[in-house]
This record gives sequence, structure tokens and C-alpha cells, in this order.
Amino acid sequence: MNSVESVQRPAASRGGEAAVPDDAASEPRRSLDLYWLPVATLLIGLLVTLVLVLVSQSQYTSNEKRLLNLRVRDAAALLGESVPGTTASLAAAAEQANFTNGSVARFRRLATPQVGAKPTQFLSLSLWKVGALSQGPIAVVGPQPKLITTRGNAAGVLGGAGRTPIVNVIGLLQSPDPRLGYAYANSSSGPYLVYGERALPVDRRSRLASKNQFSGLDYAIFLGDKQTAQSLLVTSVKHLPLPSPSYAQTVPYGNNALTLAMSSRVALAGSLPKNLPWIIAVLGTVLAIAAGFVTLRLSQRRRRAEDLAGRLEVTANENERLYAEQRGIAQTLQHALLPDRLPQIPGIQTSARYEAGEEGMDIGGDWYDVIDLDEGRLLLVVGDVSGHGLRAATTMAELRYAIRAYAAQSDTPAEILTKTSRLVNVSESGQLATVLCATVDMQARQLDITSAGHLPPLVLSHGDSHYADAKIGLPIGVQEDTVYASTTVTVPPEATVVAFTDGLVERRGESLDQGLDRLRAAANSHDVGLSELLGTLVSEMANGRAQDDIAIVGVRWTR
Amino acid sequence: MAELEGQSEQLISFDVVIDSEHHATVSIDGELDMSGIDPLAARVDEVLRHGITSLTVDVGGVRFADSSAIALWVRWASAVQEFELREPPPLLRRVIGAMGLTEKLGAAT
Repeated sequence: MNSVESVQRPAASRGGEAAVPDDAASEPRRSLDLYWLPVATLLIGLLVTLVLVLVSQSQYTSNEKRLLNLRVRDAAALLGESVPGTTASLAAAAEQANFTNGSVARFRRLATPQVGAKPTQFLSLSLWKVGALSQGPIAVVGPQPKLITTRGNAAGVLGGAGRTPIVNVIGLLQSPDPRLGYAYANSSSGPYLVYGERALPVDRRSRLASKNQFSGLDYAIFLGDKQTAQSLLVTSVKHLPLPSPSYAQTVPYGNNALTLAMSSRVALAGSLPKNLPWIIAVLGTVLAIAAGFVTLRLSQRRRRAEDLAGRLEVTANENERLYAEQRGIAQTLQHALLPDRLPQIPGIQTSARYEAGEEGMDIGGDWYDVIDLDEGRLLLVVGDVSGHGLRAATTMAELRYAIRAYAAQSDTPAEILTKTSRLVNVSESGQLATVLCATVDMQARQLDITSAGHLPPLVLSHGDSHYADAKIGLPIGVQEDTVYASTTVTVPPEATVVAFTDGLVERRGESLDQGLDRLRAAANSHDVGLSELLGTLVSEMANGRAQDDIAIVGVRWTR
Repeated sequence: MAELEGQSEQLISFDVVIDSEHHATVSIDGELDMSGIDPLAARVDEVLRHGITSLTVDVGGVRFADSSAIALWVRWASAVQEFELREPPPLLRRVIGAMGLTEKLGAAT
């Protein structure tokens, strides 16, 4: 079985596997990814702003309503307070008339000071007798009451009064000269009824004094509980209805009622609560936009980081691919420089292996060769040029072919290496080479070994092994005129001879002898075919990860 | 007197001291392989160009040396008149012996 095997095949190119994103297809989705978060932030910010605006607006409105309500109550209470004064004036006159049996003189004396143009005074006061109302007033102080001039049926209107000691309030609201009429009678003490009229502003508009606590408010006062133009007594605005929001309160007014409606021209609680919704709206919108913008920037930054990471990954994949490619090229070249088949001669098996080390990025300087000499003899060669890379490989190839050429001239191993030593000079190239050359004589079971600084071959037979005791000369390249000697070794029947480079036994932190012992122990424990033996030795010694390149070549006598 | 220090990949450190007009001492520590010896080679080459004829290389701190490092020492040994590899650790001495270079490198104990 004469064969050359390689443990490692050049790695197949993995070009095109690098994870390059499909830009065309993913771009819209990427844009969506980029913008959805900022847009969502903006929308949520605006939504929160809107809710806050609505809440603050509703707070403001309800607060204003509450304050307006309080003002209206106060104002209504004030309006209500005017009734007792009016009642007292009318009641005093009515009681006097009852007491004096309708004395017109006494009535006039009492009424005259209360009639006039002042707001507190009546326009007119008149004395009537219940039961004879249709005959008109007994006495009138001031001008003829409007009740008589505009309403024919004064008696009917006044007829309702007099049953209870409560002022009857009568609206005489037709323009011009709108008035309110007040009628009072107390049937339990007498038949006399006093009727007074007060003027309303002609256009029914009245402004409250600016320092009044009600300044800043618009108001309208209606007779009765309805807010109609017909029942309007007085207002501060040109046109009804009052501006919204308005609040109304109805208070008793004699036998009738007054409805006071108010609306605020200014913010009752101050300008801040009024403006707060706007402030919130503006600030909230600005904040929402700012938050959206910040989120956009962060998203863009994250996108850039992701893109960068993606590019790094692509680069890493590319590096890995290039590494595999370069390693593949190195190994392809290495195998091209090594024999692709070994010679076969009867009675001798040959086999060889080459294993690139972990640092096998570069082509190495290790080699092996088996050359068919003649008459059942082979030349076994294994060598190692120091360093790596093309320079080492070039020197290796040069040495390998030189040795083949010298072998073809029937030179002995010693002569071959003596000639070869002239080819390399460490002072010029910085390179050394260790080379083991050995002729293998099938018939004589002899090895003629010459070592140029190389480790000796392992000789094993039937579970026992030793390293051939060969003289070691200087490595090739140290000295040009080195003369090498050879050592002849006789091997046992069916012996196996294994020559190798130091990568097989060299391990950092371990001595060379420890490595050599491990190799010997490994060789002793495997009684297998030559090719399998070499494979086992490589894998056991390298422990799955050879640091340096390993060349190993073996011959085995089959008889 | 000049003293220089170089570092490479934290595995190797070295000092080159020019002791006299013709002698220099190179002290090397760490693990030497072809990936890290270029600065060392460049520095010593520079020294050798300036009339140094005697070189002492102290390798007491070398834990590992591959064939490139050994080739470098052989080149230095060929370039000067006197060369001594001082205090090679046993592991290193064994490798040098296996390569037949004990005498050449003056590495005998």
C-alpha cells in the first residue's frame, strides 16, 4: 500500500455567504422601524397634552361656575334685601291710612318725602281703597301712576293685592318709561292699599359701580322666574342673552320673584387658571415634539449602532472567509510541493502525511519525500526549513529537488547533505533547515542515516520501539563546508521506521524528551496498518490541534 | 552605554546593552517564535553593524524558541567572532543539542 494521504483538505471557498443585508427589500421596513417610535411618542405626548388641557379647562369652568354661583347668591341676597325697605315704606303708609280712616292729608304728608327722582325714592305713591279700586286712587303723590295710564284694568291688577301683608310686585315694563309697581294692603287691619311705582332705566341698562364687588360681571335681572325680554328689568349688556357661561338665581320678591342672571367678563379666579389650559397646550405640544425629536435621534443612533455592528459582522465574516481561503491556498500550495504519490517496491510499504498547524495561515517549510533508488532501495527524506511563508516554502522546494537530483547521481545520504549544505546560508537568508536523509535497504534491513540537525527516526517492531542512534550534524545553512557522516542501523524483521518533523513532538512547556517519549508510547500501543498508524500518531500527538506543521513519513518491511 | 527595550505581542521582551566598544549583551525573556522576533532581529542587526564583534545572548528567561529563533542565533553566531548563548534553560539546551548546534552556539554548560 503506497499512498499519500492528507489529513486536511483545502477548505472549500465559502464566498458569497457573508451576511449582506438585502437593502432593496428591507429599506421600507427599516424606515418604519426608525420612525414608528418617535411618531408614537409624539402622538402620546399630544394625547396627554389634550387630556390635561381638557381637565384643566373643565376645572377652570367648574371653578368659575362655582365662583359665579357664589357671586349670584350674594347679589340675589342683596336684591332680596331691598324688599323689606320697600315693604316698610308701603306698609307704614297703608297702616296709617287704615288708622286714620283714609286721611288723604296724612297720606300726603307721609308720602311726599318718599316721592322724587332719587333711586331710593318712588316716582309716585297712591292710596287706594280695597273694594272701591275701580273708582281709582283716593290720593296720588307724584305723577299719575303708569298702572292707570297704560293699564285700563288697574283695579283688576291691584285686586290680587291686599289679601296678604306681602308686597305685590307688578311689572310695567313697556317702553318707554318702564316701571315696577308695588302694592301693599293688610286686610286684617283695614281696607286701604298703598301703591308705589319705581322707575327702571329707560334702556334697562345699568352699570354697576366699578369698585363694586360685582364689577367685572354682566348681569340681567328679570321679574319672575323666566329669562325673557318681556320680563327684563335691568341689564348691563346691550343684547341678551348674557355671554355664556351664565348663572341664574331666582329669589322671592314680594309675591313675585326676581331672577338674577350673571356672567363673568373676567376670570373670577384670576388669569392663571383661565390661561392654564393654553399654557398646558403650548408647553405640552412643545414637549411632545421635543420628546419625539429626542426619540428620533435615539432611534437613529441605535440604527447607526446596529448598522455598524452589522458591518462589523460582515467584515468578520469576510475575514473568516479570507482566512479560510488563504489557509486553503496555503494548503493547496503545500500539497503541490509535496509528492502526490510515493514509489512502491516489493517488500516495503510507504506512507506519509502532512498536517497544517493551527498557525497554518502561511505555507510551511516542512516536507517529506521518498525516492526510489535501485535494487530494492529507497531514499527516505524529511526536512524542515525554519520559518513560514513563501520564503520557507521556496527554500523547501529548492532543497527537496536538489536532494532528488543528488539522489539520482547515486550519492549517499552523507554526500547528498554535504552538497545540499552549500545551497543555504543562514547569514544571507536567515534560514536554517534540518534534514534527515536515510537509505532504506529492503534486503539488508538496513538504514543508512544522515541527520543535518534533525530528530532521529523512530524504529518500532512488535510493540517495542527506539529512536535510531544516528550522529547528528549541523543543520543545513549553518556552515557551507560542513561534511556530513552517516550511521548504519540494522532494523528487526517487519520493522517500521517513522521519520517526522519537530511539530509532531514539540509542545510549549514540555521538554523535547517528554514529547519523544509520548510518541514512542503512542507508537507502541497501536498495532495497525502503516497509514493508519501515521494518522493515529498525528492525531494523538497533536491532540486535535497541532500548533506547528507536521510532516511524517514511514516505511514498513512486509517480510 | 545604551539600553533599549522592545516588546512584541507581550510574549517576548528583550534588552540590548552595549557593554563596551566591541561587546554587547542581549537579554531575552518569553516565548520566541517567528511571529515575534522581527523587532529583536532588527535591533541586534543594528548593533552588529556598529562594530560589535562579541555577543553574549542571555536566554535564561526564554521558555520556548522555535527554529526561526534558533536560526537567528546561528546567524548572530556566524556574524561575530565571539558568541555565547548564556544560561539556556534545559528545555532549550536539549533542542539545541538535537539540532547539533551546541558547539556552534556556545551553549555548553
